Amino acid sequence: MFLEFVEGPLWYIALTIFVVGVVLRLLDVFRSGVRTDLAPPRREGLGGALRTLVTRSWTAPGFTRGAAFHLVAGYMFHLGLFVLLFFAAPHVLFIEERLLGFGWTPVPYWAFILAANFAFAGLILVWLRRVMHPVMRRISTLDDHLAVILTFIAMFTGCMALFQHHDSLRAIHMLTVEVLMIYFPFSRLMHAFTFAISRSYTGAAMARKGINA
Amino acid sequence: MNKNAKKRTVMRRVLVLILSLVIILPLIPYAVALVDGPGAVPNPGAQLWNEVRQRDGASAGVSQVQAVDGSVFINPYGERWRQFRMQQLVPIGGWLLVGVTAFIALFRLIRGKVPLEGGRSGKLVPRFSVNQRVVHWFAGTIFVIEAVTGLVLLYGRFVLIPLLGPEGFSATAAASKEIHNLFGPIFPLAVVLMILLFLRGNSPNMVDVKWFAKAGGLLKGMPASSGYYNGGQKSWFWMVVVFGIAISGSGLVLNFPVFGQGREIMEWAHVVHGVVAILFITASLGHIYIGTIGMEGAIEAMTQGYVDANWAKEHHDLWFAEMEKAGMVGVAPNALEEVKRHDDIDFKGFGSPGAKQKEG
Repeated sequence: MFLEFVEGPLWYIALTIFVVGVVLRLLDVFRSGVRTDLAPPRREGLGGALRTLVTRSWTAPGFTRGAAFHLVAGYMFHLGLFVLLFFAAPHVLFIEERLLGFGWTPVPYWAFILAANFAFAGLILVWLRRVMHPVMRRISTLDDHLAVILTFIAMFTGCMALFQHHDSLRAIHMLTVEVLMIYFPFSRLMHAFTFAISRSYTGAAMARKGINA
Repeated sequence: MNKNAKKRTVMRRVLVLILSLVIILPLIPYAVALVDGPGAVPNPGAQLWNEVRQRDGASAGVSQVQAVDGSVFINPYGERWRQFRMQQLVPIGGWLLVGVTAFIALFRLIRGKVPLEGGRSGKLVPRFSVNQRVVHWFAGTIFVIEAVTGLVLLYGRFVLIPLLGPEGFSATAAASKEIHNLFGPIFPLAVVLMILLFLRGNSPNMVDVKWFAKAGGLLKGMPASSGYYNGGQKSWFWMVVVFGIAISGSGLVLNFPVFGQGREIMEWAHVVHGVVAILFITASLGHIYIGTIGMEGAIEAMTQGYVDANWAKEHHDLWFAEMEKAGMVGVAPNALEEVKRHDDIDFKGFGSPGAKQKEG
């Protein structure tokens, strides 16, 4: 009963809120427009946008030592989560059966374990840093903590359901994922989509002014 | 006697003889065995099952299955391992855990919470850096997850089935097993980070011997001197190193059975893993108690990075004297100052007049 609900109506509700919410948020960003620059552009904006998209994936010179922890732990988490989300065998099957109608080759079990280890270790480390570092603690909001906690719970319940022989465990995982999907558009988790827009905008604007951002 | 009567007599005697032979002949091997001792007469059935059970030692046959232990019909060491697990590890480990918990409860009843004798001074002393605290809680988080799920796997059958029922326990055990195996490989990383960040200052010395002789200053009216780390903290650190390496190594052997390790190696790895886990968890109970609710002002060292000056004076007097001499007592926990002290950000090139010129 519970499994039918979370795999049926609640799944469609969560998916709708997620898709509509993300689209509306992105439309809101695009609708805000770009300020008119009356000065003649010194360089083409596209090159700057692409350049910044790449350069902002690393630390700025002078900050490498201080940001090394975030760089390593952050990439551990994000790359690990990406592999888990799109290449774990149960997820590929779910995408094929419930979303797209086609799938792809999942990663082997050892790679899945490695990705999960990276994702969990990275997430715990970056969150502990957020709580322990005096500056990070002061600039963090409830949204930051809630996003981490919901993501951790969704990952943790997914780990619990790996055995795949207990419907109750799968239902709990589905429920936590759906809660995360509903929360997603209203939170800073939107950075999963907006990071590229933000970097490109900054890069293009700066390039037109003749600055390597 | 007529001819027929003679024939019947002969027949009777032959029958008696055959009957006697039928009864006596099977007894011959037993008689021989009785005279020559056991093993003189081969018993095909016994021999077969002795071979199968490998009572004379492990032996491998020939099989088409190309796998580690693929040609071993029955692993003779499995029973030895099973008996160790059920008759020694589970009961002795259980009593050890219960005993230490009871001891801590008794200590609490008698001693109460170890107070700050001098009260709060209002002055702070920096104790642990951000990185040390992050690594400590990282290791602690993974340790607790592994300990809880490991105990479910070891004791769940006895403790959880009466509470959750067979179905509930089945789901809990399945979830615990997956979590335990998935978080397991993260623990070696935590142990390595712990070693890197906490090794300095943890070498044992004579001060620690005296500290132990005075029961670590935990008894009333018996203060014990110590430096940055006391004897108990140093012991815990070395337990983390030794137990951490043993439990990580044995855990990886069990978690990834794809590197040619056979059942016997796996059984030994399980014995090491189980014994060390029980000792590790038992020792951690003391660490967790005294570091949190057992001693006033102790947990702040790991949550805030600072301790009260009186706490430092009462529990780490030699270190406190050094800090006082260096003018580090009373440092306000200003965020920027703290960041600078921990040296997390490379300030070279930022904030100095020269930096602006370079950027320009």
